[in-house]
Amino acid sequence: MADGTAAIPLRNFGKADIKVSALAMGGHHIGDAPDEKIAQRLIDRAVDRGITFFDNCWEYHRGKTEEWMGRALKGKRNGVFLMTKVCTHGRDRVLAMRMLEESLRRLQTDHLDLWQVHGVVFENDPDLFIRRDGAAEALTQAKKDGKVRFVGFSGHKDPAVHMKMIGTGFPFDAVQMPLNPFDANFDLSFERLVLPELNRRGVAVLGMKPFCGTGEPVNKGILTAEEVLRYAMSLPVTTTITGMEKEEALDQNLRIAQGFKPLSATEMQSLRDRVRSQAGDARFEPYKVSLKFDNPEARMAHDFPLDMKQKEVQEMFGAAMNTGKPYPKLQAQ
Amino acid sequence: MSAQGNSLPKRPLGKTGLEVSILGMGGYHLGTVEKQSDADRLVHQAIDAGINFFDNAWEYHSGRSEDLLGNALKGRRNDVILMTKVCSHGRDKKVAMQQLEESLRRLQTDHLDVWQVHEVVYWNDPDKIFAPGGAIEALTEAKQQGKVRFVGFTGHKDPRIHLKMLSHNFAFDTVQMPLNCFDATFRSFEQQVLPELQRKGIAPLGMKSFGGSGEMLRNGAVTPREALSYAMSLPVATTISGMDTPEVLNQNLEIARGFQALDKAAMQALRDRCHAYSGDGHLELYKMTLKYDGPIGREQHEFPTEEQLPL
Repeated sequence: MADGTAAIPLRNFGKADIKVSALAMGGHHIGDAPDEKIAQRLIDRAVDRGITFFDNCWEYHRGKTEEWMGRALKGKRNGVFLMTKVCTHGRDRVLAMRMLEESLRRLQTDHLDLWQVHGVVFENDPDLFIRRDGAAEALTQAKKDGKVRFVGFSGHKDPAVHMKMIGTGFPFDAVQMPLNPFDANFDLSFERLVLPELNRRGVAVLGMKPFCGTGEPVNKGILTAEEVLRYAMSLPVTTTITGMEKEEALDQNLRIAQGFKPLSATEMQSLRDRVRSQAGDARFEPYKVSLKFDNPEARMAHDFPLDMKQKEVQEMFGAAMNTGKPYPKLQAQ
Repeated sequence: MSAQGNSLPKRPLGKTGLEVSILGMGGYHLGTVEKQSDADRLVHQAIDAGINFFDNAWEYHSGRSEDLLGNALKGRRNDVILMTKVCSHGRDKKVAMQQLEESLRRLQTDHLDVWQVHEVVYWNDPDKIFAPGGAIEALTEAKQQGKVRFVGFTGHKDPRIHLKMLSHNFAFDTVQMPLNCFDATFRSFEQQVLPELQRKGIAPLGMKSFGGSGEMLRNGAVTPREALSYAMSLPVATTISGMDTPEVLNQNLEIARGFQALDKAAMQALRDRCHAYSGDGHLELYKMTLKYDGPIGREQHEFPTEEQLPL
């Protein structure tokens, strides 16, 4: 490295003979950057400093983040491991395949390295996924067609939902989930209830929400950014995906990830112990106990209420540039 | 009622020796009426029709529900089985005992028939309630002092939290929980908690037979008669229902009078029909969102307010 810092460690992607960076760039926050130029600069800088894993999703900011990332990765596509997600939320294979074509077009590529089912959060999502004509068939088809190399799923709600998804028997290559010291202490813990099973199966584990999705534990001074991110990266995972919509956040995380050495078992336990008294009710994990992190798209597909007068929903609609009508672009085709 | 077939049936309240009407009057909805005379009319009509179980909570409408019920029960206190709930939300015995005194004063009585820990919905609530100096000690002390006859707890979130409460093997007399034809096949209190209560001889108190605010009826999946009949056919002591107008009260009374439990086939048919809508919990918002979690519990657990995080 030109500035004398060590490289970001690379790790195996599950059982595949592929290596990806232990720190990954989250797609949602790319769309929170003030403009495309800044987003592009962030992505450029991430690639230059050794981040190879890029996360995205069909529904983030109504496609804006995929479009921005697609343009930013022009000429660099083959140097990165590109993931995006499909947002059927229980709907069928045909819709999933149309979303795949849209994602490929926006990302300006002919294939994805990883394509995941997004937002598996409701208890019947696994049933709807594996049913005849469900999204599972799209994953299989897309792999066969060479449009995606690997497939997986993502969700932030309940380890039981993840285990139900794994229990469908579908051969997932990757699984994404929240992993942080608060999760470790809570009754509904992905670290305790899902991670060991994935490790046993050799599935690539993608950690997310190391800062609890909100940054609150750091903002409130409970843990430092370094403690939080080092905790997540020290778990037996392939990579840790985190949002970095500002250069300072990116640089801070790069500093932690470059030359990263995992914490010892004692250091891990001490971090868990420090947050125990504030972890038991999930006050820092709203994604597990409220609808806050459930995208309007998911709520609509499942008939959950959307009260436009409610501040939270207004924020979500604002962030997603969502009109309240599903799939305007697809319907126009 | 002259014809026995037309009276409101009663059932044993667990092992307490008390008998309760199969329909109980919910305290939260009582607090939504405009004036005391509205509450008087509802409560008196309910008692005259044979309802003898009255629900309330220290925190409902900042005490208004207890005030209204206390006034309405003047002279009739001994005709009813009176329950209210303590809202310590993880705080200690002292807070609980203070709330008990307030509840007794508002309800204008020297004792409660049933006193329950309210809204056990956060995953660490059982730990806090059973911690040394916790609310569970208030339940024991209040019983010893003769200020309450029986004790229990209530919650609407997750059967696993109820089971955590029960794992302490405390001698609860009653346990309240959502029981309806949607719960039957989703994160189910009916499947996971009800059998455990029956084994222990604890009186189950059903609630949210219509989804908490009638969500299940608006959807059109079931009629009020089907929903309430389902709930009352379960092995529960009573089904507590919010009845804020004479129309709703009459509707429920009509279903409950001379009630005959649905047979197995009819119960299964309702479960099967509701299953299509139950799998993600979107009609059971109390399980899936923060919508039914009250402001005091949120404050104690440092959660955002209803305004900041409505769902």
